[in-house]
Amino acid sequence: MNIYQPQLATVTAVIDETVDTRTFRLEFRDEGFGREFSFRAGQFGEYSVFGAGESTFCIASPPTRGGYIECTVKAAGKVTAELRELNVGDTVGFRGPYGNWFPVDDWVGRDLVFIAGGIGLAPVRCVIWNVLDRRDEFGAVTIVYGARSVGDLVYKHELGEWAARDDVTLVTTVDPGGETPDWDGRVGFVPAVLGEVAPAAGNAVAVVCGPPVMIKFTFPVLEGLGFADDDVFTTLEMRMKCGVGKCGRCNIGSVYVCKDGPVFTATQVKAMPAEY
Amino acid sequence: MRCSDEGRRGGVKELRDLARQLLADGTVDVVVGWEDSSRGARPIFAGTPEEADKLIFDTRCLHNLATYLNPRRKQVTDLGKLALVIKGCDAKAVAGLLREMQLDRERVVLIGVRCGGVCEDSMAPEPVALTPETVAPRCHGCDNREPHLVDHLLGEPRPEPPVPLLTLDERVAALDALTPAQLWEYWTAQFEKCVRCYACRQVCPMCVCERCVADKSRPQWIETASHPRGNFSWNVTRALHLAGRCVGCGECERFCPAGIPLAVLNRKLQRVVKERYDYRVADDPEVKTPIGDYRLDDQQEFIK
Amino acid sequence: MTEPLFLSHEALADLVAGLIAAGTAVIGPAPAGGPVIPGLEERQRPTVTGMYGTLEYREVRSADDLALGPGMPRLSLKQFFLPQNEALFAWKRRGAETEIHETPTTFNPRVVLGAKPCDVAALEIVDAVMNWEYHDELWNGRRAATTIFALACGVEDDHCFCPSVGVAPDTTKGADGLFTPVSGGFLVEATTDKGRVFLESYGAHFSAPPAGGTDEARAYREAAHGRVGANVQIDAVRVKDWIEHHFEDPFWATLGVRCNGCGACTMVCPTCHCFDIVDEEEGVGCGTRRRCWDTCQAGKFTLHASNHNPRADQIARYRQRINHKFAVYPVKFDEVLCTGCGRCVRTCQMGQNIGEILVAIDQYAQQTGEAPDTTDVAAPPAEVAP
Repeated sequence: MNIYQPQLATVTAVIDETVDTRTFRLEFRDEGFGREFSFRAGQFGEYSVFGAGESTFCIASPPTRGGYIECTVKAAGKVTAELRELNVGDTVGFRGPYGNWFPVDDWVGRDLVFIAGGIGLAPVRCVIWNVLDRRDEFGAVTIVYGARSVGDLVYKHELGEWAARDDVTLVTTVDPGGETPDWDGRVGFVPAVLGEVAPAAGNAVAVVCGPPVMIKFTFPVLEGLGFADDDVFTTLEMRMKCGVGKCGRCNIGSVYVCKDGPVFTATQVKAMPAEY
Repeated sequence: MRCSDEGRRGGVKELRDLARQLLADGTVDVVVGWEDSSRGARPIFAGTPEEADKLIFDTRCLHNLATYLNPRRKQVTDLGKLALVIKGCDAKAVAGLLREMQLDRERVVLIGVRCGGVCEDSMAPEPVALTPETVAPRCHGCDNREPHLVDHLLGEPRPEPPVPLLTLDERVAALDALTPAQLWEYWTAQFEKCVRCYACRQVCPMCVCERCVADKSRPQWIETASHPRGNFSWNVTRALHLAGRCVGCGECERFCPAGIPLAVLNRKLQRVVKERYDYRVADDPEVKTPIGDYRLDDQQEFIK
Repeated sequence: MTEPLFLSHEALADLVAGLIAAGTAVIGPAPAGGPVIPGLEERQRPTVTGMYGTLEYREVRSADDLALGPGMPRLSLKQFFLPQNEALFAWKRRGAETEIHETPTTFNPRVVLGAKPCDVAALEIVDAVMNWEYHDELWNGRRAATTIFALACGVEDDHCFCPSVGVAPDTTKGADGLFTPVSGGFLVEATTDKGRVFLESYGAHFSAPPAGGTDEARAYREAAHGRVGANVQIDAVRVKDWIEHHFEDPFWATLGVRCNGCGACTMVCPTCHCFDIVDEEEGVGCGTRRRCWDTCQAGKFTLHASNHNPRADQIARYRQRINHKFAVYPVKFDEVLCTGCGRCVRTCQMGQNIGEILVAIDQYAQQTGEAPDTTDVAAPPAEVAP
């Protein structure tokens, strides 16, 4: 067995999120491995479709729920296109968990602000449920989530669950032009809506994930609201192959996204060369 | 840098004067030619009069500078309007790019140089006198020592290059004489060495596809691992894609870090195209290639 | 270091024969073989230009094949530890079941005799990343199965610059021992337990050094130090600092514009280890996952599925090469990802000269002012006493 050999897992559920995005629930074939398996919010894995290759996704299910892992996949290339064709009962491979994680334990007692765009909600959803499964330990929870259009919102069922809770403030938005006649959320780009919601910085921590352009415009809004760069977290994406720091492909300057990341603070991101 | 007279080319002063003029009057932003350096003759992107004074042309100027006209090379297109110093084989490549509408003629000023052949080693510290031992095999049989596709033509007419000790055609003939089994064994052994660096493709002025067939994954036409199966597929596919387009500059073989005799493979296909279609690549963009053209009287007897 | 022993040329032949007979593969520098067109054997010249020689590292059948003298093998030792293509595992689908067939991570024993010290040192440098938290068993397995004796180098040409990057013509970094040429054979020393065990196992072939042998060996090695000391000299730490703080410097553009992105430099480099992982179907429902050499110089090396490319042109990609080797790797692993072998300089047909580039950066790092100019025919800086 070498470190590039994956564990086998079976697809036990397939959920259509949007026209081109699906969530897969996976259970490990090797029950012993499955029982021992643990990870932290923010970590990722290399998921295999044998014959097509591997692709990198965060583990989208929370670490507080054992017995399975989930990944949310948008069909964009060869491997994800084949992943999208999988059905319940099919076999995939999994290597992981790799990378660093959101320091959730350090956030105990603090308010949390989650900002996500599009499929960027996947890693954030993992930490949201991680927090909600330990709700008493944390302060106020605010979620600002948007997508290009109503059809592009992911985890729609869970958005409903979060909206229904009285210990969570959820604000959803779609880009101008993306609303439908019965849409009752906001209309506007995520950074702008964040500015309107204006969560108090106070003792809060912010977690941001989405398309690079969204992150780029969200950072200044958070700064304007008084968030310190050390209290703003994001995850970065790069083309990856090995996931374990050896193939030499995912570095941004001397930061290897697969080993030193993918979770970074805004301080760390701003110190990186502009090559991501 | 001391140069032997035999290796030196006339016209270097003319070249430098012209380059300085083109830069000074704003006709071009950069003149791409060769300079002498710690690594022998190498490309230079001369954007100032001082840099223009470094231009040289001698038997070490093997590089096909038309490779820099690849529209995908953003770092070169960003430089603006170019002047390009070209030998006859290079001119054929420029013609090919124009013919295939990969290049806007307005974008480049072509400075042709009369050529009497090149040596095999661009990195020799001084120009190399051409003898049967030193001359590059690619030069034998050249029909374009005075390029036609030019805006300026410099240098004195040069004599034909000496015949190399072993010509590409002799190697092709020797391969033609092999049995299919021997041929398979020879090329399998060669392609096993391939590391799929794609240096051959990167340097080839005719390899300008926006998305090379080897880089396509949906569907996957060519296996990407540097495994004999995929290597064979890649090398043969590239040779086929060059049939009727290859200008015979030989740079693919020179660049290959694995030492695969790619010039022989491409020469074979050049001969096939000549025999089948009576066609040889010329530096006239108006002349269509066999693949790029259809005639009612095209040969068909090989279609069974 | 153990006390030096002497291995005559005759004894070397016996040693190699003995190793092969015992089932241990012997690898060393040998004349480049490679297929010759039948019928043209007498007339065919090597297809590799004379610039970087006609030697290659390969498995030899006898000591007659070994070329233990001057000459730089075309590719480094890398291919024996990180093969240009290697199976990671195979899979087979049977109905709804998928089976994985593991690739062994133990390998038959091998001995490398007479490798360039720069090539051997490279292995120890790459060990660091291959064992960064996760242990690459394929690399480690091959390292464990191999006993390596380097051959003290006489300095290839003026493109060698090993001392600038912490290596030397007679370094034993990464090696289990060292051969030094002397009259009639070699002086041999072991520098690791593995090397010592080897010398003991094959002790019959070794004898006491002849009179004057140790002096001859020392003189050879000192002369080599002197020769390479006249080549490119840089302060690697100063270069690292400059690179770290000048990511956006216009200097990078002057380098990237000439580069073709052919990747030949990365393929011949002993420390470049970037690889790709691909699945190759080999039948219905079965196939092999392979890893193979890749190059940061390729356009699609960092291409995202969204078509975004953080390194969108050759300027960024060439900068990455210099950055990774001389800044990133030192920051991460306290080692320069380069052993100064000079292969990239000899191989690059577009004339990119890494020695020249490093000197330019080093000089610039020492001054304020204009960006370094590498279009000059730069003379090597003044000699620094070894």
